[in-house]
Order: sequence, then structure tokens, then C-alpha cells
Amino acid sequence: MPKQSRRDFFKTTAALSAVTAGVTSTKIKAESKDYIPDKAMGVLIDTTACIGCRRCEWACKVAHDMPTASLDTYNDRTVFNEMRRPDHTALTIVNEYPGKELDQFPIDVKFQCMHCNSPACVSACIVKAFHKHPNGTVTWDGDKCIGCRYCMVACPFQIPAFEFDKAIEPDIKKCDFCFERTKVGKLPACVEICPNEVLTYGKREELIDIAHKRIELYPDKYIDHVFGEFEVGGTSWMYLSSKEMPKLGLPDLPRATAPGVSESIQHGLFAYFVPPLALYAILGGVMWINKNRKNSDTEE
Amino acid sequence: MEEHLKPMPIKRKFITPGVLVLIIIAALGMTALLLRYIFGIGFVTNLSNQYPWGIWIGLDVALGVALAAGGFTTAALGHILHKDKYHAIVRPALLTAALGYTFVAVSVMTDLGRWYYIWHPLIMWNGNSALFEVGICVMIYLTVLYIEFLPIVTERFIGRVNLPGFLSAFNKSIDKLLRFLDRILDKTMFVFIIAGVVLSCLHQSSLGTLMIISGQKMHPLWQTPVLPLLFLLSAISVGFPMVIFESIISSRSFKLKPETDILKGLADIIGPLLAIYLAFKIGDMVIRKSFVYLMEINTVSVLFTIELVVGIIVPLRMFFSRTMTKSIPGLFIASSLVILGVLLNRLNNFVVAYTPPYATGPYIPSVGEILVTLGFVALEVLIYRAAVMIFPVISQPKPAESVSKYSVKGV
Amino acid sequence: MKKNLLIFTLVLFSSAFIFGQNKKAAVDHSQVKGLTCKTCHSCDIPTKENPCLINCPRDLMVTIYQKPKDAPAEIIINKVKDNKDLYTPVKFTHLAHAEMAEMSGGCISCHHYNPPGDVIPCSNCHEPKRKREDITKPDLKGAYHRLCNDCHRAWSGKNDCNACHTLNAQYAGGKKQPIISKDKKRIHPEIKTPEIIKYETPKTNKGKMVNFAHTQHINTFGLECQSCHKNDACIKCHDQRDKSNAKPATFTQKHKNCLACHDTNNNSKCNMCHTNDAKDVRFNHKARTGFDLSKFHSKLSCVRCHTTKGKFTGLSSKCSSCHGAWDLTNFNHAKTGLKFDETHAEFECESCHKDAVYNKPDCSDCHDDKTYPKDKPGKLVR
Repeated sequence: MPKQSRRDFFKTTAALSAVTAGVTSTKIKAESKDYIPDKAMGVLIDTTACIGCRRCEWACKVAHDMPTASLDTYNDRTVFNEMRRPDHTALTIVNEYPGKELDQFPIDVKFQCMHCNSPACVSACIVKAFHKHPNGTVTWDGDKCIGCRYCMVACPFQIPAFEFDKAIEPDIKKCDFCFERTKVGKLPACVEICPNEVLTYGKREELIDIAHKRIELYPDKYIDHVFGEFEVGGTSWMYLSSKEMPKLGLPDLPRATAPGVSESIQHGLFAYFVPPLALYAILGGVMWINKNRKNSDTEE
Repeated sequence: MEEHLKPMPIKRKFITPGVLVLIIIAALGMTALLLRYIFGIGFVTNLSNQYPWGIWIGLDVALGVALAAGGFTTAALGHILHKDKYHAIVRPALLTAALGYTFVAVSVMTDLGRWYYIWHPLIMWNGNSALFEVGICVMIYLTVLYIEFLPIVTERFIGRVNLPGFLSAFNKSIDKLLRFLDRILDKTMFVFIIAGVVLSCLHQSSLGTLMIISGQKMHPLWQTPVLPLLFLLSAISVGFPMVIFESIISSRSFKLKPETDILKGLADIIGPLLAIYLAFKIGDMVIRKSFVYLMEINTVSVLFTIELVVGIIVPLRMFFSRTMTKSIPGLFIASSLVILGVLLNRLNNFVVAYTPPYATGPYIPSVGEILVTLGFVALEVLIYRAAVMIFPVISQPKPAESVSKYSVKGV
Repeated sequence: MKKNLLIFTLVLFSSAFIFGQNKKAAVDHSQVKGLTCKTCHSCDIPTKENPCLINCPRDLMVTIYQKPKDAPAEIIINKVKDNKDLYTPVKFTHLAHAEMAEMSGGCISCHHYNPPGDVIPCSNCHEPKRKREDITKPDLKGAYHRLCNDCHRAWSGKNDCNACHTLNAQYAGGKKQPIISKDKKRIHPEIKTPEIIKYETPKTNKGKMVNFAHTQHINTFGLECQSCHKNDACIKCHDQRDKSNAKPATFTQKHKNCLACHDTNNNSKCNMCHTNDAKDVRFNHKARTGFDLSKFHSKLSCVRCHTTKGKFTGLSSKCSSCHGAWDLTNFNHAKTGLKFDETHAEFECESCHKDAVYNKPDCSDCHDDKTYPKDKPGKLVR
């Protein structure tokens, strides 16, 4: 049986979509207009340098005024026994994966919102509660959100978290790239605290260069792949690692942007409201003809 | 034949043993619903950050919209194509659609974390969002449905406005208002009828676009860029089976003679519609070569096969068989299968096919979620029963004495 | 006057000496062996403004090697101090760490860029500020921590900040915490070479253990520590990670160290090393083959005699099988440590050495009244 990989499917899918939506393939471009290369900042996560001290988790909570246990409790490494995900109580978390070989150290990987160049959440949100800022940050606006959770359905990284236990004003919680801090020239809290500088903050384009140089310099240390350079049209946060990315919880994703297909269908169906109006006119015509025929029938 | 039939309120006892069961189910559902509004969504449902949407969206909303498609398909058949023969079923279908969409709206509100902001999409637009399109269309269509239903209300109450107590002072002015509305609507109804069909086509398909953005999270058996087309085609093909299903049930329930002739006429249309839907579904599968996933046996492939075989192919064969479409049980079974197929399709699309990248387990709806869903269905049936007893919806043999348009005028 | 002259000469000499040292400190490209432009520079024409030095580590450029004792015993690391810091500075026992480094890479394991001259501080290249222009290399804090953590996570798999730091007063309930201070004289204990290393091999049916004759291997084959232990980091001895969940090592991984000389893939030869007897040191060249390597052949590598790879049997113990026929013309007996006197120098070899391996003869074979070692047939030269 010819076994096709799931990824191949989505490639076919993306190609097909251009035809079915009746639009030109230029609509499915790699970057949305929200992405401005000159201004886009990013973070390069070098997982080979991470030791899993989880100070980023602590700093994140402090920076966002979220309740946190004392700093000492973060030394507890038993939390790595299970795979965690960012949720409404922690916008970033670190998971630990086994090392490449028996005698190598476990690999610690920090997870948070990737701040996609073409964010699915921004495209999906029914009320535009998500916004992609020129510096790459994707933020959420609680004054608009209606709590439909479509952003969670759309996100390819399963990042937005919802406060399911709240009956009134439940929030969508996700990393905001410390927007309030970067606005005043500060570094994101996690970047600032990281003892090993696993997280390098800088211009996204520059970070991509640095990442490739590092791979070139240490070909034995790194997998030749900068996760987030092209995935779903590129992300602000990118990863380097010594082990295949899917084994470190970084999913195998296509290069096409997450909202590309659905946006082209939407825009195809509603191109200047022509298709709906045309349908209206046709139906009206049919109705008119049938009515006249009926009337002439009865007159006879 | 139709001159002997006239829509009239049905005079029967409201409470029957079956109705009592429905009331109990509805009460349980409303209790669960109350808990959701007091303690939050997490208290009642099994939804999580992994599975943000469950059966409240997959069944209550998506299936609700699909099964209410009878409203626009019969409107198109009866009014736009002007097949007068089918006028008798337009009103029940309209009532079902109006009720269905009302419950869709209520379900959406139940599922919204911040339900009190449900009006936000009206002023905060996002043209890129399929959900925005669905939301706006459903809101407008719901309004259109109520407008389409208004003539039934005016027909019932013109000349019979009889408010109790001090409100009786308004009797006259309300009567005048109703007559005014009736006159206006009579002239403008075609605008709303066409709008209803257009809006339905738009949001039935956009409902399919909804899940496309989930990309790889959705199983390739269902994830396809033609999802909107498949949703529209399945909605159109489930519209008439739903009308048949309902008509047979209500005629049994109210001990009326089923309108065999009309139903058979509908059945003849269903065959080709189902065939088109099947062709697109198979064609999509062949083009994307997604059939390879059917070669291995697991929950996903089994459910897809059931959806395809039991939900489309079997009823398709039945609707093309003369002996089947002639008999009421045959029609009923075939229609039920189509409905089941669409039910399964919506459930598959929104729940079964959805596998988040960091899933730790499957999503299984909680008792609370199921109770709310069943509660809404029960409530809908009860309101339908009440409505057909109040309003002239279901056509019955016309009593000889009534002649004028407003049969109860001056009573 | 004489005294002044002496002082003057001293000053002259010392300044000349210092000048000489300084001159050496400038980058003298010709002095470094095997140096090409590309060793240090990434572009073709480096200028003073843009030297385009290649990325670190640039250990190829390191030319100066210093002794642990040359460096300070203790350094307080407080160059990245900030009043919002969570933790107090660290007192770094440089001497102890330098001693430890001697066992593997030496200074270079931390000071990976060290142009000719004194060892340069980290902060020369690594900026103390995290928000900076040049993000190609880690900032100072990151650079420090990466060096520390690379080994420290090996001890226990833990990277507790508290292992080196104490909390600053504002995070420790207002109490001022002392800086963690370790005995600055503490150095790594001398590593003793074990005589025999016992490896438990309970899973194989070929024998429950391998008694590895460590010292014997070193002496027989003239090995240095680095010959086998060249890639060993601290973790070799200090690994305390939980191995209960670890995947079992593969056959190749287990036999990695022996594989270079022993044919571990040959199933019939397992009992060359594996045994059930705790006292059985499997391979002793003299005991196993009757051929003593310790006297004259200890410096030879195995392949000098065992020329076919993986085949060690069938070699004759006769001297002539390797050396050809010895006679008076081609054998200098003095090499054995005994230089014959005139009388004995005349004899053919076989006159005294009756057997093929030239065992030591007894004086009584020829003489009735002489005994060795009281009476020697010549002079001991070693």
C-alpha cells in the first residue's frame, strides 16, 4: 500500500485549494501583510544550551503578575516527568526530552507562543481580538474577545489557553512576547533572566543568519534545521536543536501559512460581494420567470 | 389536491406520555445548562486546551444548522422554483428552520466563554474569519426566518388580538400593526425569501471553511479545501430528508394522514442531490488520494466508512428504488439514514477528525454536555409541538365553512 | 659606583627582557605553526577596522599554555552585577578548576580564545549587557553559565542555582546571605591508576565478569592516560544521573574501548576476557603464550608482531621467527645488560644458549667452580 505522509497530504491540499477557491495561487503567500521584516523581532532558542532551570517560567509569571510559587520550588525537577503545555496559569513552560544518545544530557525545550508571521489566531478571530504588531508580537485584546475559542482550534502550535473554570470574563491566555516591556526598551522577562542565554533576542532576520552560522560552525552539534524559519510561513520564535525537532515536541509543519487556505476561500467567496450578489440575482431571475410562467398558466 | 388542504392550528392535547419524557429530558438539560452559566464551561464539559470545541459546536451548532437546511431548500423549491404542490411543507420546514436556528444561536451563546459579548461581531468585523462569516450570516438569516414566519403570526392573530386585563387597551393598535405588517410583507416577502436562500448557501458552506484553518490537526480523510462545497452539498441533500422525517413523525404524533404524494415528490429530488454529494466526496478522496487511510482499520477509518456507506450510499440506493419511495416506512428509513450520515459527518468533522499536536488523550463528551444537547433537542420538539398547536403551520383537510383568507376573522 | 652600575645593568636587562616579552605578545603570524589566514579570519582581506575574526571557539589560535598555579586561586565573579539580581556573586575557585581541567583539555577547555600573551578575561569578548548590538556570541552572563553548567550538570544532573549562588537579600526575606565560599586550597585528589578493573557482565552467558588488567595494559603496551581516556569529561567519574530508565547500552557501546585491539565480534573468543573466576585476570602474555613481553618487548605495539588484524595465534616464540638468525656479527650482547669479557665474546651464541629462545644459561654447564651472579661472564652495563 502506498503510504503517503500526512504532510504530503497538506501539500496537495494547499495546491488544490487554489483551484477550488477559484483564486490565483498568489493569495497563498508565505507572509501576511502584518509581517514587516525590518521591524520584526524574534528569539532564537538554542536548546543545546538549556539546562532546564525554569527561571524563565518564574520570571514570566512575575512579569505578568500571575501567582507563582517561591523561586526555590523551581529547582524541583520531578515536573519533567510529564510533558506539560503552556496554559492559563503559565504562559511558558520547559519540558525535558531524553538526549540523543544514552550518555548525553536530556534536552530541555521551552515552549511559548511562537508569534507566527502569519498567525492563524489573528486570521481566525471572529472579532479581531488578536493583533499582530510590527515588531512581531501577537497580542490578545480582552475587551473584544467573546470566548469562542476558534483561535485555539486554528493555532497549529496549540498555544492559546482558555480559563475554562471561569463563568464570567474567562480570558484567553498566551505569551505576549512581553509587549509592555519591549515597548519601553526592556527585554522579554524570560530572555532577561535566562542564565545561559539560551534565548537570544534580536532582529528576526539577523537571528536566522546567526542560527545558520552556528549550524555551520558545529555541524556535529546541531541538526541542520532552524525550526520556525519557514514553518507555517515563519515564526518570531525559532529553535536550534541537536535532535530531530518532532522528537522534541516541535511538530512537523508545512511551509504554507496556517490561514492561507481558509483566507483564500473566504476572499474567493466574498470577492467584493460579487458571488453572493450574483447568486441573489440569479435566484431572483428564476423566481420571476417561474412566477410569470405560473401566472400565464393560470390565465390560460 | 392542495385546495383541500389548509394550514391550521392543530387541536390536540399537549401533554402525552412522550411529551412527559421530553419534558424530563429538557429539565435535566436545562439544569446542566444552568450549572454551565453559574460555574463556567469547565465545570460541565470535558473541553480543555487540547479540545476547545466539543459536541456543543459539532452537534448543537454545525448539525443544527445542517438539519435546519430544510427551511431554505423547501423555500427554494416552493417559492423560487414555484412548485405549488410543495407549499404544504413550506410552513413546517420554516418553523423547523426558525426553531433550529434559534437553538443554534442559544447553543453558540452557551459555548461562548463570554456569552454576553455575543453582539461583538456586529461591530467588530474580521473579514478573514470564516467564523465571522458564519456568525453574521446566521444572525441575519435568523432575522430573515422570523420575518418569513411573521405572516403566519399575523394570519393567526389578525382580528383575534385579545390581551388580558389592562393590556386590552392596546388590542386595537396591535391589530392595526399586524395588518400593516401583513400588507408590507405580502409585497416584499420575495426579497426575504431569496435572501434566505443566499444567506443559507453562504453560511452552510462557510461552516465547512471553519475547520480548514486547523490544518494538520484535522485528519486528512476530512481535511480538504473543498470542505465548504461538501458542507453545502450535504446540507442541501439533508434538507428534504429532514422534512420527510419530520412530516412522518408529526403526522404519526398528531394522527394525521401523511402527505404521501408530496413526500414522494421530495424523495425523487433527494436521489440526484445525494448522488452529487457522493460524487464530490468520492472525487475529493480520489484526487487527494486520502483513501490510503481507509486501508487501515481504526476509529477514524471505520467512522468515515459508516458515514459514506450508511449515510450516503445506502439511502441513495433506497431513494432510487420505486418500492422504497412508495412506502412510508421506506421513506422514513432512507431519510433517517441521510440524517444519520450528516450527523456523523458533522461530528466527524468537528470532533473525531480533530487531533491536536499535543493531545494526551481523546475527547469524550461529558454527561453534562450530552444532557444539554439532548435537552435542547427535547425543548425544540416541545416548542415545535406547542407552535403547531398555536399557529397555522401544518396543513390539514380544510373545513368546509371557512372561505376567506383569514379563516378566523371576527371570531 | 659599582653598585650603581649593577643596578643599571639589571634595569637594562630586565627592560630588555620585558620588551622582548611584549614584542612576543604582538600577533606574530609567522611564529605560529600551521597558521593560515583562514585560521583566524573569515574574510580574505582583514583590516584593522574589520578584522573579521571567525566565530569562537578559536582554540586553534591558542599558543600559550600556562600552569594552573600561574593563575589566581580564587576569583569573585561580579562583572555582571545588577541591583535587581536574584543571586549573590560567585566565588570561583579557579585553581581547583584549573587542576581539574588539566585532566582533559587544560586551560583551553574554558579559555577557548587566547591569542599569544596573557590569558584574556571573558569580558574582553563577551559583553556584560544582555541587550546589545552584537548578538552573535553570548553575553557575559550566558558565557559564564555555559562554561559552568556544561560540567556541573554532570555531577548530579541538577543545575541548582543554589549550588553556587545564594539568594540576594531582597528575595531571601531581607536576610543578607553569605557568598558561598569553598576552601581555596581544595584541589582535585590525585587519580590513582587501578591495578585491575572488574566489570560485571551478568547478562552474558560467556562469563560473569571481565577482570581488566589495567596496569598490565599500560605497562605492556606503554600507554599514556590520554591514549584511552582522551574523550573523558568529568562525567566519566562524576555521573550521578538516574540510569534506571536509560536504554541499555548496545553491544558496540559496551565493547567500545576493547574493540581497537580485540576482535569482540568473534563469538568464539568471548572467553578471552569474560570469565567466572574473580581472580582470573584473563590475559597475561607470559602466562597465556609463554612469551614474556616485559623484558624487551614491552614498548612494541601489538601489530608489530601480530601483523594480521584480529589474528593473534600461531606466532612462533622463537627469536628467529622475527629477528632472523642471530650470530656474533649482528647481535650486540651489551643490549641485554651484560657486556662480555674478552674470553666469552669469542663464543658462538649456541655454545651457551642451548634453546631456541636464548634462555639464560647456567655457569655450571661449562664451569665447575663458577656461579652466577657471583661470577659474571663480563660486565653489567645497566
